[in-house]
Amino acid sequence: MTRRRPFFVTFLAPAVVTAVILAAAILEVLQYSVREFIPGSLDVGGFTLENFVRINRPIYWLVLLDTFYISLLTAVFSLLLSYPVAYALVRAKRDWVRSLLISLSITPLFTGEIVRTLSWMLTLGADGFVNSILRKLSIIDMPIQLMYTRFGVVVALVQFSMPVMIILLATAISHVDRDCEKAAANLGASPTAVFWRITLPLTMPGILSGVVVIFAWTMSAFSTPQLIGGGKVLMISNLAYLQGFSVLNMPFAATLSLIALVAALGSLALMKSATGRLEKRLAIH
Amino acid sequence: MKKLCIALGALAVMATGASAQDKLVISTWGGNWKEGVQIVGKEFTKRTGVEVEYITGGTLDRLAKAKVAKDNPEADLVNTTGQVGYLYHADGLMEKLDWSKIPNAAKLYPMAKRSDYTVSDYVYVYTPAFRTDLMPKGFKIDSWSTLWGDEVKGKLALPDFDPSHIIIAATKLAGVTPEQWDQVKPKLLELKKNIKTFYQSDATSQNLMRTGESPVQVLLNINGYHLQKLGMPVEIDVPKEGAVVGVDVWGIAKNTKHKDWAEQFLNIALEPEMLAKLCNFHKCSPMSPEAKLDPEIAKLPGIFTSQEQIEKEAIVLDDKTYATLLPQWKVWFTENMMH
Repeated sequence: MTRRRPFFVTFLAPAVVTAVILAAAILEVLQYSVREFIPGSLDVGGFTLENFVRINRPIYWLVLLDTFYISLLTAVFSLLLSYPVAYALVRAKRDWVRSLLISLSITPLFTGEIVRTLSWMLTLGADGFVNSILRKLSIIDMPIQLMYTRFGVVVALVQFSMPVMIILLATAISHVDRDCEKAAANLGASPTAVFWRITLPLTMPGILSGVVVIFAWTMSAFSTPQLIGGGKVLMISNLAYLQGFSVLNMPFAATLSLIALVAALGSLALMKSATGRLEKRLAIH
Repeated sequence: MKKLCIALGALAVMATGASAQDKLVISTWGGNWKEGVQIVGKEFTKRTGVEVEYITGGTLDRLAKAKVAKDNPEADLVNTTGQVGYLYHADGLMEKLDWSKIPNAAKLYPMAKRSDYTVSDYVYVYTPAFRTDLMPKGFKIDSWSTLWGDEVKGKLALPDFDPSHIIIAATKLAGVTPEQWDQVKPKLLELKKNIKTFYQSDATSQNLMRTGESPVQVLLNINGYHLQKLGMPVEIDVPKEGAVVGVDVWGIAKNTKHKDWAEQFLNIALEPEMLAKLCNFHKCSPMSPEAKLDPEIAKLPGIFTSQEQIEKEAIVLDDKTYATLLPQWKVWFTENMMH
């Protein structure tokens, strides 16, 4: 065994060390979540379950539901907008078209989240690009409220998520066996029918993993809702930040982080089970 | 090789130790605030020959670091806000000040001696301001109650890191003490319709005003002056109930090895000429009536130059009350006013 995999332990070590550090950090968060908050002090008090009781206040449920809703919208719209780009990226006949699409879709990954969010602030602002164009075209008299709305946050998050979604979908589309599509066409299926009945089902694993990844990713979004939401749209990470670094209530911030972690893991498990069932159904057909 | 490494390590430790021992270390904010402290630092070095080293960071980050370092403080002197200064000494992180070693403290306004541990050199205010070109002609904020009016609907921005100003103003309007703030909760909830957003920093506040995104704000007067200097049509008003004062304080770190230097530094910092120099730089209010500001700065709204003016135009809360109530205010604000 050792002879066959001589570097197994050595190669595994970094992952084990990282996992141990991560587990220790989560345990620390866990122990903070059951400690008492002492107003006006950074020290925490004794054991309490008060923080978990406090979660039942409507505001926290509202923010949690909003976090789910925004994450779901982001995942769905990322998928809808990314699929055509990924499809064109894989199927384009000319190299320069493919190169252009790769540059346009992947380049945003290399600008930071803050830079991209600031760009959206300039675009969505009362005096920003969108409102200026609409006013110049005499479509509106007064600027439309785009900043500090759920719409604005979702738009920025979708753009932020698209490069990752495009990569995942392009990989799935490139694995589709073109012979299946040709066979369907030879049997008289129209290009539309080939896409809906052959290509799309065969890319379903990529679609599902893309949705799951973007959903989980968005659940922990911080800077975009912080800057575009401006306190009017809060996600769970913004609330944890406010509790920890503004109120200095680290125990409650830890409780919120824990709830966010459990919620994210729970929804991922649900999605995985749903996608598993869907994949089986697709395989049967 | 091993011996060489040990020798180099020892040399590095000695060098670090020597540099730390020969300097007065000051904990303050970065950017403009550090530049202000450097004005005093240069004078201190000129007079004593002692170099000054600066450690910069956010208010709460530095408090957290000081707690970790507790018995072996990184900095000898701490420059922070009044209410956070209270947290420092409540946690045993500051030395009691020996006023006899800081004779210039006797020349300060009574409110400058914040506690036995902290002393203030200048104050600033949080007060309403607005873009004159984006509000109706003749609009003026002569009372905090104007912020509740229909003209401000969907236009107001408040800081998300500190809701104290609007809460204190609401208690003032209702004629109750800040401790009785429970009574103004309904009034505060009425303000929700007028709030457009919450800003996270001075930079965001200025940007919101610059772009006209939120043409009415409760902002730091210093930010308002900066926008005016840039040519923005911004009017800063001090309402008849007064502007809410923010206090910056100095304190000497507990267990510092340079208490004498720290006291000398504080004494220089509190000299009227030095306070004037600092406040001309920051455009803030010096804590000594003897500090003579440039006339152009002295006449700015929110700048106090006498005890009478402070009594008439300033709303000042003691640091302990502030530090104790602020967490409750933040919790309530987050749960009820935001989102």
